[in-house]
Amino acid sequence: MKEITNKLQEIAARLFNEGKIDVFLAWEKGEHDFQTKSYAARSVDDVKNIIFNEYSIYNVSNSLLKFRDGQERIGIAVKGCDSRGIVRLLEDLQITRDRLYIVGIPCPGLKDPLAAARSFGGLGKKQEPEGLAQKCLECIQPNPVIYDELIGSEQTPRQQGDRFAAVREIEAMTPDERYKFWEDTLSTCIRCYACRQVCVACDCRTCIFDEMKPQWVGRETNTTDNMMYHLVKHAHMAGRCIECGECERVCPVGIPLMLFNRKLIKDVGELFGGPEAGMQYVEGAKPTLSVYRENDPDEFI
Amino acid sequence: MKVLSKAKLEEALNKLSEANEVFVPMQKKAQSGYFPWNSFVSGQDELMLEALNVYQSPKGAVLPQTEKMYRYQQGGMEINIEETFEDSHPTIIFGARACDVKGILAMDEVFLTRGYEDSFYKARRSGNTIIANACYEPGPNCFCNAMEVDCVNPAGADVILRDGGDAYVWEVKSEKGEAVTAVIAGLLEEKEVSLPQLKPFVQKVDYSGVAEKLKTMFEHPLWDKLSEPCVNCGMCTFVCPSCYCFDIQVKMWGDEGYRFRAWDSCMFEEYSREAGGGNPRGASKERFRQRFLHKLEFFTERYGTPLCTGCGRCMIVCPTDINIVRIIDAVKEAEVND
Repeated sequence: MKEITNKLQEIAARLFNEGKIDVFLAWEKGEHDFQTKSYAARSVDDVKNIIFNEYSIYNVSNSLLKFRDGQERIGIAVKGCDSRGIVRLLEDLQITRDRLYIVGIPCPGLKDPLAAARSFGGLGKKQEPEGLAQKCLECIQPNPVIYDELIGSEQTPRQQGDRFAAVREIEAMTPDERYKFWEDTLSTCIRCYACRQVCVACDCRTCIFDEMKPQWVGRETNTTDNMMYHLVKHAHMAGRCIECGECERVCPVGIPLMLFNRKLIKDVGELFGGPEAGMQYVEGAKPTLSVYRENDPDEFI
Repeated sequence: MKVLSKAKLEEALNKLSEANEVFVPMQKKAQSGYFPWNSFVSGQDELMLEALNVYQSPKGAVLPQTEKMYRYQQGGMEINIEETFEDSHPTIIFGARACDVKGILAMDEVFLTRGYEDSFYKARRSGNTIIANACYEPGPNCFCNAMEVDCVNPAGADVILRDGGDAYVWEVKSEKGEAVTAVIAGLLEEKEVSLPQLKPFVQKVDYSGVAEKLKTMFEHPLWDKLSEPCVNCGMCTFVCPSCYCFDIQVKMWGDEGYRFRAWDSCMFEEYSREAGGGNPRGASKERFRQRFLHKLEFFTERYGTPLCTGCGRCMIVCPTDINIVRIIDAVKEAEVND
């Protein structure tokens, strides 16, 4: 990983020196060795702070949203999942391809800094497993799907067995069992909206949950409002979730949010086929469920 | 000294739960927080009194995340308040650490002093007894000592528990404390227990002068850099033991409805949105700055003590590793032009 860090710094320095970028988005070291944070290097002097290590798990494509209204030319380091996020932003016209210089990193699978911080901090359960993060164990696309330059060699997807096994378990429940399962799970939500904030596919400028006139979803933390929040949030992700797993990783109450997303990935695949969200970038192409036509044979969505 | 043997802990919690809702730190499936003892599922849930702390603070016992205020009926131009929900049922927070108790004391200042008493908070707080758990081993993120908290002698506690190995020393501090002690008097024993020495704090934090210095730093460029990784989720505010902001909203069907309040977060765009649509804190940086100025400057100005209690939770949960200790450091080190 040290090699990747060196290479990233070298590339970022070169891009700054050649005057090709105004900012380079990657990761920097956090407070502890097991923490990293998203980082925006703004000059060749900042480049030394850029790192890539086994905890560089944060999806930096999300950081592009802070730059969507600007003119900056942006260098960005991406893993496989992050690169799919870039495709999503390009498809949604949130950023233009010519503003980006993408440095791809085939990802060997990373660890979760939040799990490490919990173990270290002495809160909650004493120790959590130290291996690869759950989202990395479930990874189907470790290699960047879009890049201008690639560092390192291709990695093999780590997803083993039936990717939708957990979804099938829920599908096999009776409606009452299923309702009970979600009622129990979602009643714990504290509505901190971290799942929304770290989601690169959540790129709406005005979010339905922040609307007050009218207020579409109630603000009480009870089963009804929590279910509405999650149903609406995840239904919006149909055909859009790039499976980076950040929502589930950051959830402070451990809600298995990827169950929703995988269910929708499965349904969208079965109903419409076609490539999954962010798996390939074709200029002008739109992902499933993102196209509106006046002569649509159905009357309304 | 009076002690409660750990072997009798569950019995004591059962006894206290007969007439009180007793909030105890526990791991409940994926959740870690204060939950009513009578919701404890043996074999599935885990009591967390021995752990340093839990993820979610006990503030919900006195300021629930969602709290119904009143129910009303509308008829023409008339509105009748049918029922108010001031709730003073007896509650006990069992095993709270000093940092979390300080969070509640901060809320007492906000809701009960300076000329206005919040009747909903007052009702809950009047029925609430705090049994605190003294800390002798500060964790790696703890810095309560720098935020005017004495972790060995939690201020505001009605009873203080001191972990003496096989038993908790049971130290009564107030009349409310006497009352709950009477309930479990039969389980307490007289015994001499040796108590541990307070271990040194790992975090070295110097808050002195920070509130004063921040007065001059509203426009300081350091906020740009510090706030950059922040994604403006509300996790830090919701796990914080002292963040008390709420929003009052309404649900109505036809002519009837109810008002409730729910925790709100200065991290959210909608929090500071004005009725006309303007927003004085429209950008991420402004919301970030507000949170830390409130914790470290504004509250100290108004109430003479910081709103951060040094529990360290926000540093553990933050998805982008925002660290309030490093922010205090950065403020200390920042150059300020007079």
